[in-house]
Amino acid sequence: MQIRFLLLTILLGIVPPLQAAVHRITLRAVPMPSGQLAYQMVRHQVEDGGRTEDRTGQYASGPTIPGPAIVLTEGDTAYVTLEHGIEGSDLPVSLHVHGVHYPFDSDGTTKVLNGVADHAAFPGKPYTYEWIAAPGTAGTWMYHDHAFGDPKVGAEDKGLFGTLIVNPRSGRVPALIDGKLTQVNLRDVKREFILWMHETTFWGQEINHIVNRQIPLWTNPIVGAREGELVRFHVIGIGTAFHTFHLHGHRWIEPGTTHVVDTVNIGPISRTSFVVRAGEGVGPGDWHYHCHVIQHMQSGMMGKFRVVPRQ
Amino acid sequence: MKLKSLFSTMALVAGLGLSVPAEAVKLKFKTPEKAPASDEAGAILSVAGVMPSAVLEMTDEPGTWFRDPTDGDALVVVKPGEAVLIKMTDVNAEHTITSLIWQPGAKDFPVDQDKPSTASVTVKFDKPGLYVFTCKVHPYMFGAVIVDDPKTEGLDLGREIQLVTGARVPTTSDIAKKLLRTFFVVTTPSLWRDYTKPVWEVNLPDIPLNLGGTVVSLSALSVSVPNEVFKPKVPGVGEVWVNTQFEKIAGKDKPGSATQLDTATWTIRKKVKGVRIDMNHPHNMWTDRAYRYIYQTEWFDKRLTTFDRKSGDIYSVVTVGQDPSHVITRPGTDTLYVAINGEDRVAKLSPGRNHNLLGSIKVGDHAGPHGHWISDDGKYMVTPNALAAGVSVVDLDSERVTEIPTGGVIPIAVGIRPQGDYAYVANLLGTPPMLASMSVIDLKTKKKIKDIDLAADYDPVSGKTKGPAYGLLPIQTPVSPDGKYVVTANTLSATISIIDTATNRVIKQLPCDPGAHGVEFGFKKGGGYYAYVASKFSNVLTVVDMDTLEIAGRVLLADPTDPDITALNGYGGQGVLPLPLVFHGWLGDTLELSGTGKLDPEVEAWLRELTPEQKGI
Repeated sequence: MQIRFLLLTILLGIVPPLQAAVHRITLRAVPMPSGQLAYQMVRHQVEDGGRTEDRTGQYASGPTIPGPAIVLTEGDTAYVTLEHGIEGSDLPVSLHVHGVHYPFDSDGTTKVLNGVADHAAFPGKPYTYEWIAAPGTAGTWMYHDHAFGDPKVGAEDKGLFGTLIVNPRSGRVPALIDGKLTQVNLRDVKREFILWMHETTFWGQEINHIVNRQIPLWTNPIVGAREGELVRFHVIGIGTAFHTFHLHGHRWIEPGTTHVVDTVNIGPISRTSFVVRAGEGVGPGDWHYHCHVIQHMQSGMMGKFRVVPRQ
Repeated sequence: MKLKSLFSTMALVAGLGLSVPAEAVKLKFKTPEKAPASDEAGAILSVAGVMPSAVLEMTDEPGTWFRDPTDGDALVVVKPGEAVLIKMTDVNAEHTITSLIWQPGAKDFPVDQDKPSTASVTVKFDKPGLYVFTCKVHPYMFGAVIVDDPKTEGLDLGREIQLVTGARVPTTSDIAKKLLRTFFVVTTPSLWRDYTKPVWEVNLPDIPLNLGGTVVSLSALSVSVPNEVFKPKVPGVGEVWVNTQFEKIAGKDKPGSATQLDTATWTIRKKVKGVRIDMNHPHNMWTDRAYRYIYQTEWFDKRLTTFDRKSGDIYSVVTVGQDPSHVITRPGTDTLYVAINGEDRVAKLSPGRNHNLLGSIKVGDHAGPHGHWISDDGKYMVTPNALAAGVSVVDLDSERVTEIPTGGVIPIAVGIRPQGDYAYVANLLGTPPMLASMSVIDLKTKKKIKDIDLAADYDPVSGKTKGPAYGLLPIQTPVSPDGKYVVTANTLSATISIIDTATNRVIKQLPCDPGAHGVEFGFKKGGGYYAYVASKFSNVLTVVDMDTLEIAGRVLLADPTDPDITALNGYGGQGVLPLPLVFHGWLGDTLELSGTGKLDPEVEAWLRELTPEQKGI
């Protein structure tokens, strides 16, 4: 049905012909030394046009908060298998994904919620989810647990959350560059910074396209780029608190609009994604980023966007 | 791991299944994924922030208010340079994360959230030693971090500790030992004082502790004390309600009940548990002038609950604000005044089964009023502003507020002389440099006239005492109805201080129980008064005879025959409400109803038992 839909869109000329890739991913939910829980990448293979690429080495070798950032392109399908690695617990753990399409049994909820079955991994019993990055699903999304703990509504608060980025088939995103609304080619974006806003902490991660690796940045990090580089921020909320994400010295376009902003409201499971040119018009420096809710700032919810001079 | 063996040993000693899964222990050794510092080649310019090596989750669970998710205890051990995430997880109300004890000179210390919220913090530790965190609203919620240098022998507690009171004391001192023992007792319910057993044993395991070079065993802090429960020879008049705030009840997620004692027989009549409403940490009570209702605050929540005194049926549950602590009525109007401990105000509610919010009195910025009191004539209300180092005097007619800075650290409870001249304010953590203090406020001039040093006779280093003033961490502090004495429960020293209001000196110190907290006066049959003292970490109510100033009895608050109590039977003693109320402002209102048919026959019978002196005639 999905293929038929894609064919239809191709016939209508909505998108260019697809070379839809199939991703085969294995994640594991494990405890952190601190007692928090986290997702860890076990394997990521991509089948595309008869070739198979192994991307496992691009991820951190251990568990991270946020979990591994999974990057798809509109049209791709991912089969994501979750393994239960939470020692000492036989409670189910799952993946519930936002934004993309999936069949009902990939909802990642428990029978208590969905009335049918536990879409979850148990010790020794992995569970596989099908995620379909259908046309129209481009954007920054989140996946998180929806099963662990008592009363089985999920342990996202303990660290079981991660990022799903669906890039548009066109490969282009709008951005405000040199004061003009421009279509930026994502191939020209060298660094992507993921910042999750949880309670009073930013949990960070970098996708570095120069060395082709994901780097865990943990709490309230310094994210760094070279002046003039195109960088893409993904800012996502989780938990119960409402935040206002503010980055000093930079402005961007509110997605889907022509509004120029430098602060975005971020509630639980709401998100924004934008491209800026590092230091544009303002030059190098340690540009502050923070939550603008005073109480959150006072609790240390801040970091720096370090723009180093051009080489 | 040293810590883990500590706790599993303690669990074995205590005969409790506090077992630690082996995996959890191993995990402490796993090296987490490390992010690179700035990459040499210049490709990676980001610099990772700290990754917490341990977590303390704040909860509503008695004992483990700061819980290590890996093993469920209230203590984590990290290495120098590591960080701990402290977050609020299983809580219904707002709290602060505040340093109680830290290492002198530690970077970024003390930690203090100035007002209650749900905000978490990630704390990095550079200096080995002991660190204890608390909540300023609920200052017995304790969580500890030991920053242990693996190269030294024993668990590093440091040479000295800095207390939030401003005092800096050696870890070998008596006060440090008291604090350490108290930490283990408070955070380990199996070590709480159980009067159903003949002896209270605090057996701490043989774990080496490094006190700045001196290595001692934790077992040196063990104590063994005989328990004696005995009924006062002379009955009281009426009944006493005690908030057994930690009792675990079948069908409830949150703990706590209100225990009703009959003082004619010194036996438990009933426990009001609030199963349907999941009553959460019932802390303090008051009643209406006809004694029909019990007004009950839920301190770890946002609610005031009203139930029927006789049947225990719950009539209403009203959301009043963050962490409502105490409730009292105004003589003459019967209006309720509820201290909103997590905010800066006192809520004013109409009396009866259900309540209308009549208004709010802001008592000062970030005040955090806790155990307020109203003068017998109904004219003034005095609030101890736990988060603002002062008190506020409110003229209840005009609602004009006068803030009086006292310099007290966590002013927590107030008593007012029936003469209406002076208020006594217990400062939980003293008035620097006093370790334990009581501020005396002149209500006419609205000035602090004195700080009574409650521990003037105590040497915090040697532990020696040279007189009766050795109470530490005072809490409730009512003035006797004849105005002669202030009786104060001291939660750290586990004692009761009696202050003579003529000289403003401590004249007597009586033994009590760990976590001594609530005090209120009740009538003694045939004349005179009893002071009733409730303790958080024991399951008895201590009765003090105010004629002899001696302990008259200890009455069990546990009911072993109650199948609905699943754990912590009789523990958590905090608010105390003896009926009839002894203070003449309130008693007068009730006596006016006598003979009108508005009082229950039981209440009429109580009033008939009172002597003319007790009635204030």
